[in-house]
Amino acid sequence: MANAESPVLVAQGIGHLSRNFLREVSSVFWFIVNTFQETLERMQQGRVPFRATSFFRHSQRAGVDSVPLVGLVSFFLGLTMALLTGYQLQRFGTERLIPGLVAIGFTRELGPLLTGIMVAARIGAAFTAELGTMQVSEEVEAIESMGIGPLRFLVAPRMLALILLMPCLSTASNIAAILASSLVCKAYFSIAFPYFLDLVKDSLLIRDIVTGIFKSFLFGLLIAAIACYRGLTVKGGAAGVGTSTTSSVVTAITTVIGFDTLYNIIYTNFYPI
Amino acid sequence: MSTQSQVVELRDVHMQFEEKKVLDGLSLTVKPQERLVIMGQSGSGKSTILRLILGTLPPTVGSIFFKGSEINRLLRQKLQEVRRHIGMVYQYSALLSSRTVRDNVALPLEELTDKSREEIDKVVDEKLELVGMEDSKDLLPEELSGGMKKRVALARCLVLEPELLLLDEPSAGLDPVIASVIDELIISLSEKSKVTSITVTHEMESAFRIATRLAMLYQGKIIEEAEPEEFKQSKDPVVAQFLSGSTEGPILEGSLDAITKK
Repeated sequence: MANAESPVLVAQGIGHLSRNFLREVSSVFWFIVNTFQETLERMQQGRVPFRATSFFRHSQRAGVDSVPLVGLVSFFLGLTMALLTGYQLQRFGTERLIPGLVAIGFTRELGPLLTGIMVAARIGAAFTAELGTMQVSEEVEAIESMGIGPLRFLVAPRMLALILLMPCLSTASNIAAILASSLVCKAYFSIAFPYFLDLVKDSLLIRDIVTGIFKSFLFGLLIAAIACYRGLTVKGGAAGVGTSTTSSVVTAITTVIGFDTLYNIIYTNFYPI
Repeated sequence: MSTQSQVVELRDVHMQFEEKKVLDGLSLTVKPQERLVIMGQSGSGKSTILRLILGTLPPTVGSIFFKGSEINRLLRQKLQEVRRHIGMVYQYSALLSSRTVRDNVALPLEELTDKSREEIDKVVDEKLELVGMEDSKDLLPEELSGGMKKRVALARCLVLEPELLLLDEPSAGLDPVIASVIDELIISLSEKSKVTSITVTHEMESAFRIATRLAMLYQGKIIEEAEPEEFKQSKDPVVAQFLSGSTEGPILEGSLDAITKK
């Protein structure tokens, strides 16, 4: 039986949750702002904010090394999407819509979203674990104590690498999915490759591509910020690193999906198709 | 404002971590070229004092000055500039685990100076030689022993020629010979390069060898501050018990009964 206090406790619980949520959101926001500030201050002194090798190392790991995974998953998903929608459309004799459907679906929506989820799981986790370990072993504090800005030195190259590489990865995802659907079209629905390409070109608008690219930039920034923030705020030794890594992946994936939905709602309201 | 003649000044500093009060109105001054050793029980807040001076931890109440500038009120950029004049050796060395010894020592020079690669290499070699680690340049921190790590950490904080050296348990875990070498090094740095140092330790031998002045931290306050000879003769019961390592006395009072009962 519920006791008399329970509505109060529920309200209190909701209050606590909302407060924590708002605190986290504002912390990540200020984390991004501080990273930019620290990097800009460094550039104003006429120095490079971080070494190119550091940036390229993270780009290699976050971007180039993620291509096989992103490509493979997108390829399978493109295949499935073309196959399943194809059989439905075939009943109405409109199989020629498959190329456009997959192309628009991936460039606008699924490409950036899938890439975001995979990068959050693959790279976000790595960033958090790496920075978290540095945090618990006092390495971050040592960097700070030398007069080196840890946000500029540790976070900025990771953030830039992810922001710049995310659009490249979602492009790879789009290409893999479209390629997969072209194979399905050829094998099951007798749509030859040149005709397939024509259909893709006819249906795809520049704004679909721009939307996808913009989303990718945004997701890259969010994933990097959440992952690095979680890493640098680790408390409680090895167990803390584990907890933060899990939380980083969950938060990053949820945020990516949340922002995607929000973006779509705003976008379709202002630019109805 | 603090006077410029003091390198460090802590004025009525209180520090509280949630429920636990660590520093309770602590005041302390350090003059140029002085080698101050702060002693105290484990967990008494000695390392906290070093972090407060570096500004990596803000005090709950109170002011901390380094050469006249109030550390806890400085803006980020200014604070970073100030920190370049302070070298800190952490208790567990805090070397960057993914970088080799050479890269660890070179880091402050690469990031904060305009020196060329050759100049950096020269300084790194010189400092590593000073701590006797020149043969381990290409090793990763995980391949070093605790004592070796500590020496590399010392070399790393010396490359920027700091005016103030903060050492957290510099000789803990080192063999007696290397511990003496480190102690000698700290002494020669202050004599030759006019470096001021604050060392936190509870290794008696090392403390008396280094110190020009000793301070005893107990229950969040400095209860005794004196030159080594005078410190040894201290009438304070806490200091006397701490120096003798006896179980009889005000330290552990109450808690000792609990331990023996168990």
